[in-house]
Amino acid sequence: MIRKSKRKRALLPSLLAALCFAGTLPLLPAFGDGQPLDHAHQLGMKVRCMCGGCNDSAGGCYHVGGAFSGPCDTAKGMLKTIDARIAKGDSDDLIVQSFVQDYGQVVLTEPPHSGFAGLAWWIPVVALAAGLGLVLAVISRWRKRITPVPALAGAGGVPGISSELLERARAQAARDTED
Amino acid sequence: MDVFGSFALVLAFICAVYAFVGGIAAIVTRHPLLVKSARQSGIATCCLIFIATFSIEYLFFSDNFASAYVVSHSNRALDTFYKIGALWAGQEGSLLFWSFLLAIYVFSVLVAYRNKNGELMPYVGVILAGVQIFFLTLNNFVASPFKALAVPGANGAMEFVARSDGNGLTPLLQYPEMVIHPPNLYSGYTGFTIPFAFALAALLARYPGEKWIHLTRKWTMIAWCFQSAGILLGAHWAYAVLGWGGYWGWDPVENASLLPWLTGTAFLHSVMMQEKRGMMKVWNVWLVFSTFLLCITGTFLTRSGVVSSVHAFAQSNIGHWFVGFLVVILATCLVAYVKNRDYLKSENQLDSIVSRESSFLFNNLILLVSCVAVLAGTLFPVLSEAVSGSKISVGAPFFNKVNIPLGLFLLFLTGVGPLLAWRKTSAESLKRNFAWPLILGLIGGVILFLAGMREVYALICFALCIFVTATIFMEFYRGAKVIRTRSGASFLTSAIELTMRNTRRYGGYIVHMGMVLIFIGLAGAAFKQDVQKEMQPGSSMQLGKYTMVLQGLDTKPEANYTGHRLIMEVFVANKPIMMLYPERREFETNGETGTMVAIYSTLREDLYVVYAGQSPAGTNLPVIHAYLNPLVKWIWFGGVIVVFGTLVALMPNRRAVLVLSGAGAKQPAGDQLVHGMRPSVTMREGHD
Repeated sequence: MIRKSKRKRALLPSLLAALCFAGTLPLLPAFGDGQPLDHAHQLGMKVRCMCGGCNDSAGGCYHVGGAFSGPCDTAKGMLKTIDARIAKGDSDDLIVQSFVQDYGQVVLTEPPHSGFAGLAWWIPVVALAAGLGLVLAVISRWRKRITPVPALAGAGGVPGISSELLERARAQAARDTED
Repeated sequence: MDVFGSFALVLAFICAVYAFVGGIAAIVTRHPLLVKSARQSGIATCCLIFIATFSIEYLFFSDNFASAYVVSHSNRALDTFYKIGALWAGQEGSLLFWSFLLAIYVFSVLVAYRNKNGELMPYVGVILAGVQIFFLTLNNFVASPFKALAVPGANGAMEFVARSDGNGLTPLLQYPEMVIHPPNLYSGYTGFTIPFAFALAALLARYPGEKWIHLTRKWTMIAWCFQSAGILLGAHWAYAVLGWGGYWGWDPVENASLLPWLTGTAFLHSVMMQEKRGMMKVWNVWLVFSTFLLCITGTFLTRSGVVSSVHAFAQSNIGHWFVGFLVVILATCLVAYVKNRDYLKSENQLDSIVSRESSFLFNNLILLVSCVAVLAGTLFPVLSEAVSGSKISVGAPFFNKVNIPLGLFLLFLTGVGPLLAWRKTSAESLKRNFAWPLILGLIGGVILFLAGMREVYALICFALCIFVTATIFMEFYRGAKVIRTRSGASFLTSAIELTMRNTRRYGGYIVHMGMVLIFIGLAGAAFKQDVQKEMQPGSSMQLGKYTMVLQGLDTKPEANYTGHRLIMEVFVANKPIMMLYPERREFETNGETGTMVAIYSTLREDLYVVYAGQSPAGTNLPVIHAYLNPLVKWIWFGGVIVVFGTLVALMPNRRAVLVLSGAGAKQPAGDQLVHGMRPSVTMREGHD
């Protein structure tokens, strides 16, 4: 019975939170409206605009800080090249590789997964694995330190426990329940 | 005034050197007069930096165009408001501004703790003076803002001259947020010096007790609050001024500001384990050290030009000074740690894997992996060029692919962590605390999926936001209900009372709620739309439910620029709802152009209209680029909540004090409780 009532108590705030979210549902964007990029722009997102004046991709060039905030002439030229090669029937990989041949790997907006560039992808993975290993090692070391505490004597008293120890235990309990 | 300011900076440098050397002598000799003189010298350093900073501002306000720095970054027609911001428009001024903000912190610490923590403060004073010496070296000998304007004369020698007007401020900085964003961000960067000083001082002094960790936490929270506000204000500036429709582009300088924020956030969580359980001492000290090191690394990235960035206006060749400083700090930290590592032994053990301690460990892991990924991605182009000879770009797609899953896991932990008990959480407690939030999150996810949402990350993000919100509500509800039952006050009053009794805990929940709102806003980016079109007056363009009609153009000459403004009327279902005026500004003094974006902002979405320029095709028609950015307002609102929550967490607790009715009879409280006596109590308000 007690368990059931506790769960019921948890339900109310959860429902309150749900109601709040239900109220915000009309505010959410129209999910179906997502704007599909055309094929050239999709590929254009994989290569950088090589004008030298911005850090944008060719497909998403806004040329921040330029006289014209939009795809600059370089980005437009690259998109036209992509369009022409798509029309010729070239594969996506071939089109991207043709830019790599022209400009080097610096043209790619994200590092390739192979070769030295692949290291960029491996760093977060290795960091995660090493970190996870460290966390598990720390947990296991901390767990090993646990020493069995002798059970308290009968309810009537606490023989063998000094008032100082009791105070420390109380202080610890207070800290544990504060935050 | 330039000589006056310059002289003040030289004196500040001398005082800082004395504070450093005298402070070390005071630590060695323990002579009270030396301790006092070193502290007073530190205070004098700060006052002299204030004087130097006010001097340069005076040069700006008095249009003193004999000063090279004022000529480069101001002009007569520049709005007074922006003359304040012109101080940090260039390298020399922003380094002085850094010293100025650091001086405010140092002054506050030296004055506030002048009669406290006697064993610790001399060490703190020496460390702070050391950091000040570095920046004052730059201010005095490397990048002085007080240089007089000089031009080559007829005989080839340099002649001091005064110009009638200056070059003006770069247009990108002529926006109100640029007067607020850098001070906030710099206050964050400089603020992390204080926890660093306390942590290093405690380690060097082997300072007993946990007092230093409380001080470190408090100052970290202050710096973290400024850093959070600075990052969000910067994002808002990028959104409203740069005109590219986004707020975060993973630019190296943006990344640099995120790095110390991530480690600072990790510290603010793991420090609780030290305070509560005496654990993670080594980890915490290194988190504080890393945060400060990352602040300096960030400044190095911003200033050195080693990575290309849109923040090019702040770049120069002083990077090697920062590298040297980084090496010195790292060496100091390593030596201090190696010599005193036994001082940092953990006191407790982990009782269970299902505990709050574990959740903090995972929280720290995710934050640090994200930090490593961002740092590696930012520096990888430089690294690849050095190793393989060819530069490999690391752009937004990389950062998004790595950080989105990490961010979502962190969001999950935001909901899980606070509901786990310290030491051990029972299975029953797990079920009781998590069942309904989890169910609601899942239901929310399913509803959104059925409503047509197919973006996986956005879907997971919204479901997790529901889950976290439910857990936070539950925490407030439970606590407030207890107070309400006792006091009979309204639920809201009880919730406020609850918050004020444990500001740190409930302030933290408010911060978490702010982060949830920010995540909602970030998830909205998945549904972004945009359209670009050349428009003739009278023509229209459609984006989502909005129809925009170009009504006309006008030109508005202002004191400092000429504004070319488009007049656009916005319709929804043929009903006019709004006029928008996207603008391009031409600044005559330096020939640069700037964008003023017009934004119609609602909680659902932002209609974001940019006057992109005149058609490069030769028609000279205005080109309009419009974006529909869903849920962006939630990010700014979330940011306000985060700052508010941090301020609440910084407030002292108002607590209920137990007043024993039999106060006259002295009896140890412990004994009363051991023997099961129930003292009659009344509640009284108090503060700690």
